[in-house]
Amino acid sequence: MRKGLIQFSDVCLDYRLYRDRSVSIMETLMNVFGRGTSRDWFRALDHASFQISPGESVALVGSNGAGKSTTLKLLAGIYSPTSGKVRTSGRIASLLDLGVGFHPELTGAENVFLNGALLGFDQKRMVELIPGIAEFSMLERFMDTPVKYYSSGMFMRLGFALATSVNPDILLVDEVLAVGDAVFQAKCYDRIFGFRESGKTIVFVSHDPEAVRRLCTRAIWLDSGRVRMDGPVDDVLGTYLDANAGRLQNTAASATPREWGNREVFFSRVTLTDGNGVPARTFRQGDTLKVNTLIETREGREVKNIILGFSLHRPDGETVLASNNLENGESLLTISGKGEASISITPEIIEPGNFLLSISLTGNDTDYHWQDHFYPVSLLGTRQIPPLRMSSLTIAGGLIEWA
Amino acid sequence: MTGGLLLMKSLVEKDLKVRYKRSFLGFLWFLLKPLFSMVVYTIVFTKIIRFGGAIEHFSLFLLTGLLPWNFFAASLSASAKTLLDNQKLIRSIYFPRVALPISSVIANAVHMLMAMVVLEGLLIAFGHIPGISIITLPIAIVLLAAMTSGFAMMISVGNVYYRDVSQFLEVILLAWFYASPVIYPLGAGLIPARMEAVIKFNPVAGAMEIFHSTMYYGTWPELWAWISLVAWTAVILVAGLLIFKRMEPSVVKEL
Repeated sequence: MRKGLIQFSDVCLDYRLYRDRSVSIMETLMNVFGRGTSRDWFRALDHASFQISPGESVALVGSNGAGKSTTLKLLAGIYSPTSGKVRTSGRIASLLDLGVGFHPELTGAENVFLNGALLGFDQKRMVELIPGIAEFSMLERFMDTPVKYYSSGMFMRLGFALATSVNPDILLVDEVLAVGDAVFQAKCYDRIFGFRESGKTIVFVSHDPEAVRRLCTRAIWLDSGRVRMDGPVDDVLGTYLDANAGRLQNTAASATPREWGNREVFFSRVTLTDGNGVPARTFRQGDTLKVNTLIETREGREVKNIILGFSLHRPDGETVLASNNLENGESLLTISGKGEASISITPEIIEPGNFLLSISLTGNDTDYHWQDHFYPVSLLGTRQIPPLRMSSLTIAGGLIEWA
Repeated sequence: MTGGLLLMKSLVEKDLKVRYKRSFLGFLWFLLKPLFSMVVYTIVFTKIIRFGGAIEHFSLFLLTGLLPWNFFAASLSASAKTLLDNQKLIRSIYFPRVALPISSVIANAVHMLMAMVVLEGLLIAFGHIPGISIITLPIAIVLLAAMTSGFAMMISVGNVYYRDVSQFLEVILLAWFYASPVIYPLGAGLIPARMEAVIKFNPVAGAMEIFHSTMYYGTWPELWAWISLVAWTAVILVAGLLIFKRMEPSVVKEL
């Protein structure tokens, strides 16, 4: 088999679903003796077949739960198929989740050695690779620092540099790519495009149609675990986006920033910070995303019952999370002149990637001020199904006297 | 070095490094723990229950059994968590996952070996000069580690499905400890003969017997001890490997 070839023949993969997940022996016994079973099967991939030749860059597109991530995990060898055959040849680098093998107490260099061993490289080989990894991740001065002192950006940089340093034949890329600051993101894309130029096979999963078009020549559309369409990227993406246009009211075109409303009440300043008030755009599992706003009313009037809301969207515009103070059972805002209000979101990050944050001020049947898709944020974490839930939310408002 | 060995070595190194990163006494804890329990048992069995008095240097006898037992018990407890602790890793890259339970056993074995060097020094100091039979001890250590690995594989998988396994294990280990010739000798008339016959079927009884006879008594271990150790090791290791291999694909999805 030629290096870089992927064959996926008639692959099925079943997950066990738990209606009530039995976690103790007692519960299982009760289920066994009780009526019926609480178990069900979920077919994540349903007789999927395709072949990818060495040097091809292929995107997997489809809605959530269509089987894209499952396919990547099968290719990475993490899952074995329930039936059918998955064959790959050559070394695989998976950028499914960066830096997961890192132990917080170990230093950057120690983690690189450990991860190298997980990938099958001996110490000697890793010693050769370390300078390149340190340089690419811009962490030369921090290689002997335990990674628990790294910022999330540093962590991801090291993870990316390590995963791509091994000269793979096949590169599996999940949305995680969208990590770190803009400069590093550009570096990551450069390296990935470099792989493409040097004839490596790339399999890419993304919700961002633009990124898919840039990187891939071919796309495979997965729908409920089946291959619905397979062909040139523009054809597949076009058909896929059309088919979903009804469902996704906000398609790529309308996911661009937009500001509107009658501005009787308006945001005069907005900053995004972490829970400690430090400005941030990248958030990890457990972090709090805090939107601090300064709100003003036109001509200093007093406006009562203001609803402050937010929503979080994928790059293609699909809403993943939305709420406001009314829905969250918090008191409505009254602003007279100027007031500060904040939204603290602690998202349970089940789908890492880039998102667009929208915020809004509305009243009873009035749109005061909307900032749609205004603030890009990156969420880092482990991909899970189903995506994004809220684990806590507070919207608090205060009043500042009009001077 | 082949991939598997390299991976194992790295995981063991990580285990050792991480465990004592913030600990002042470091690996000494592995020696201090049995020393503390030795003191407790010595007081209980020579001053309170007065049964250890029959054995010379009862404390050293205890330590000879407590080191391998603590290795065994600590390895099994650690193995219950090994897959769960590494679930993110398991779900993100492929590697031979069986390396996880095995490496946690090996890391504990390293501790045991270091503690045994100290113990051997103590034994010699108190006149328990080892005989030629000591050369068989490394074989017994390897077999015990292999058997422990077999148990570790089963427990690591079991605990993914039912968290009760780790709780149950604590209880079982307590009973198992008293059912093993760790703190008492076999064949010295301290235990009823019928009991002894049952205890000899205990998978770790053979290993304990070999540790006691080679290190403490300086005699050749009895044949039954070797038969028991070899047979149990073969059965447990093969069963552990089979169960692990068989369950691995579904465990990964279950995590």
